[in-house]
Amino acid sequence: MRWIAASAAALALFTQGAAADTFRFTAIPDEDQSRLVERFSKVADYLEEKLDVDVEYVPVKSYGAAVTAFRNDQVQLAWFGGLSGVQARRLVPGSQAIAQGAEDAAFKTYFIAHESTGLNAGDELPDAVEDMSFTFGSRTSTSGRLMPDYYLRQRFDEAPDEVFSRVGFSGDHTRTISLVEAGTYQLGAVNYAVWDAAVEDGRVDTDKVKVIWSTPTYPDYQWTIRGDADERFGDGFSDKVREALLEMDEPELLDSFPRSAFIPADNAMYAPIEDVAEALGLLR
Amino acid sequence: MTATTLPRRPGWLAGRATGPRLARHTLTLIALAVLVLPLADLSVVTRDPWATLGRMIQGLAWPDVTAIESPFHALGLTVSVALWGTLAGVVLGFPLALLFARSRLVRAGCAFVRAIHELFWALLFLQVFGLSALTALAALAIPYAGIFAKVFAEILEQTPRAPSDALPPGVGRLSRFLYAELPLAWAQLAAYTRYRFECGLRASVLLGFVGLPTLGFQLETAFREARYPEAGALLWCFYLLIATLPWWSHRRLVPLLLVGGAFLLGPWPAVDGGLLWRFVSQDLWPAPLLAGDWAGLADWFASVPDLGPAIGHTLLLALLGTVGALLVALALWPLASRHFGHPASRLAGRGLLVFLRSTPELLLAFVFLLLLGPSMLPAWLALALHNGALIAFLAARHADALEPGMPGLPASGRLAYELLPRVYPSLLALLYYRAEVILRETAILGMLGVSTLGYYIDENFQYLMFDTAAFLLLVTAGLNIAVDALSRRLRPREVPLEDPCLR
Repeated sequence: MRWIAASAAALALFTQGAAADTFRFTAIPDEDQSRLVERFSKVADYLEEKLDVDVEYVPVKSYGAAVTAFRNDQVQLAWFGGLSGVQARRLVPGSQAIAQGAEDAAFKTYFIAHESTGLNAGDELPDAVEDMSFTFGSRTSTSGRLMPDYYLRQRFDEAPDEVFSRVGFSGDHTRTISLVEAGTYQLGAVNYAVWDAAVEDGRVDTDKVKVIWSTPTYPDYQWTIRGDADERFGDGFSDKVREALLEMDEPELLDSFPRSAFIPADNAMYAPIEDVAEALGLLR
Repeated sequence: MTATTLPRRPGWLAGRATGPRLARHTLTLIALAVLVLPLADLSVVTRDPWATLGRMIQGLAWPDVTAIESPFHALGLTVSVALWGTLAGVVLGFPLALLFARSRLVRAGCAFVRAIHELFWALLFLQVFGLSALTALAALAIPYAGIFAKVFAEILEQTPRAPSDALPPGVGRLSRFLYAELPLAWAQLAAYTRYRFECGLRASVLLGFVGLPTLGFQLETAFREARYPEAGALLWCFYLLIATLPWWSHRRLVPLLLVGGAFLLGPWPAVDGGLLWRFVSQDLWPAPLLAGDWAGLADWFASVPDLGPAIGHTLLLALLGTVGALLVALALWPLASRHFGHPASRLAGRGLLVFLRSTPELLLAFVFLLLLGPSMLPAWLALALHNGALIAFLAARHADALEPGMPGLPASGRLAYELLPRVYPSLLALLYYRAEVILRETAILGMLGVSTLGYYIDENFQYLMFDTAAFLLLVTAGLNIAVDALSRRLRPREVPLEDPCLR
C-alpha cells in the first residue's frame, strides 16, 4: 500500500516537473528561514488564485543560487536583495523590478558594538572603531555587506580591512548579532529589521551589544520578474503579477517576508546600489 | 661475551628498523608543524561566549524534533543521494581502475576530479542543472569516480598473482579477470565501497549547505539563525543514521534502499543544452581571453586575488590540520578499541568518535570561533578533531582485528608494546591519504575568514564571477595533485595496507 502511495507521489512529482507552463518563484527572507516550503507554498496558492496559472515555490539557499535560478529560467519571479536584484537584472536583459516592501524604500544598516568597546550611539562612526575587529554579514548581502562597506569607505577613506584589525563575514545577520554579543568580534554591521525583531523578541542581550550608528537610507529587497514573462504567460502578465503583489494584505502571507505591505518599484530606484557595487568590484 | 663482539646497539631513534624510522618520520612532521606555527595567526580573543554556547548545548540536550520540516523526506533524500552517488561513482570508477596503471592520462584525470571538493562540484553543476538531484549525484559521483579508480586499482594490484598464473596460457583476459582476479579482490572492493558510502552520507549532508534539500539544508539554516533546538534535532538524526549504519546498510537491504531512494530523487530537471554550452564555453572563461584582448587579460589577472598568501594559508592550515589529526587520532583510538576499558567506556568512546566525525567541520569550527575568537585556531581545531576522529575510528577497527600475543600485559603495556606498534604504520599511512582530504577541506572553512584558496573560490561563486572561480579551482587542483604526489613519496611503505578501508 505504501509502495503504491510512494509511486503515485513520485509520479505526481515527475509530471509536475514536466509541465512547461508552471510559473515558478523563489524568495529568501532576511530572517527566519524555517519551514520555507510550508510558508511560501501559501504565497504560491495566493498567486495561483490571482494569476490563473500553476504557481510553484522553489526553495533556494543563497542569493547566488537565486540569481542563477533566475538567469537559467528555473524561476521567473524572485524576491531579491538589493544587490542580487541588480545582478539578476544585468544577467537577464529586460527583467523588471516590479514591487518592493513598504520597509524597503528606506532600508538601513545598524553598526553594533560589544559593551567592552565602551562605544555609544552617535551621529557618525567614532574614530575609536579603528583597529577593532569587525564582521559583515553574508558577502553578497546589501544590508550586511555592500552598504556598510560603502559608508565605511566614505567615513575613513580606506578599505574596511585597513580600518579594522580583522574583518570577518559571519554569513548571516542573526549570526553577526550572536558573534558581537559574545564579543568574538567587537563590531558588526546588521540589517536593521533583523536587529529590531531580535530585540523585540528578547533574543539579544542589549546590555552586551548595542547600536552605535545607523547608515543613511537606501533601497533594498524587491520583486523582480523576467522580461519574457509576458511572452510566455500572456500579454500583461507582469502587470497582473505586480497587482497581485500590491494587493496582498493577509498578514500571514506578508509575515513570511517579513513586510507590512508591498509598494511599486522600478529598476531606476536601484541605480545607487548598482553604482556602489561597481565601485566595490562586486559587479563587472 | 663482551660488548666488542656484539654489533653496536644503535642509539635512540637511530637505525633502519621500521619502528625508529616511523618515529623519526613522525617527529619530523611534528617539528615541521611547530616550526611553521609562528606563521599562523592563532590569537585567542574571548569575552563571553557562554550565553550562545549555553543555548547551543541546550539545543543539543533538548532537541525539538517537531520543528523539522518533513524530516523523513530529508533523511531519505540524504541516504538516496549518498547511495546513488556512490553507486554512480563505482560504475564510472571501476572501468577507470582497470586502465589506471596503464594510462597516465587516466591517472591525471582522476587526480584532477578528486582534487576538487564535492561542494565546489555542486556549485559548478548548480549553474547548469539547478537545485536538482542531478546536481547532487554529479557532485558526488565525479570525485568519487576518481577516488574509486585509484583505490580499486591499488586493491587489484595487490591481489595474489598465483591463481592467475596457474591458468593455462590460452585463457582470455576477461576470463582471467572474472575467475582469477575479481573473486580474490571482491571482499576488499566491497568493504571499501561500504566505507565510501559513509563518506557519501557526510558529503550528502554537506550538499544541503549549498541548497540541495538534504538534512544539511535545514541544519545549516537552523544553526545559522540560532534555532538550536531544531539544529540539535537534525544533528541527532544524523548521528543516529551514522551510528546505526551497520544495521540498515546490510547488503540485502541495499537493493530495496536503491529502489526506494530513486523515487525520492525526482523531479529530474530538463537538461538544457544551451545553458550547458553557455556555461562551458563562456562563463568559465575570462571574457578578455574569449575576445582575444591581451591587455584586458592582464587586467583580469590583476583582479584575481593574490595567489601567494592564499596558497600559503591553504598549505599552512593543511599541514597543521594533518599533524593535529595525527595527535587526536593517537589519543582517541584506544577509547573505542575492544582491547581497552570496559563496555561502558567503549560505548562512550565510540559515541565520541561518531559525534566528532559526523558533526560537519563548519559547526565544530563555529563553536571554536565563539570560544576562541576569529583566527586560524578554530579552523585548525575543527580539522584536527574531525579528521583525527575518523582516523581513530578506522585505527580502532584495525586494532580490533588483531589478537594480542601477550595476554598477561596491563593495558598500558598492551598499548605501548603490542597494539600501537602494530597499528601505527597503517595509522600513519592513513594520515597521508587523509592529508589530501584535509587540504580539500581547508576550502570550506573560509567562513572563519581564513583566506585560503577555498575562501576566494567561494567568494567568486557568490559574486557570480565563475571565470575567476574556475581559475582558482584549477590552481587548487594543481596544489592538491602536488601534495598528493608528495605524500605518496613520503608515505612509509614498510607495511602494505591490508584493510582497504584504511585508505
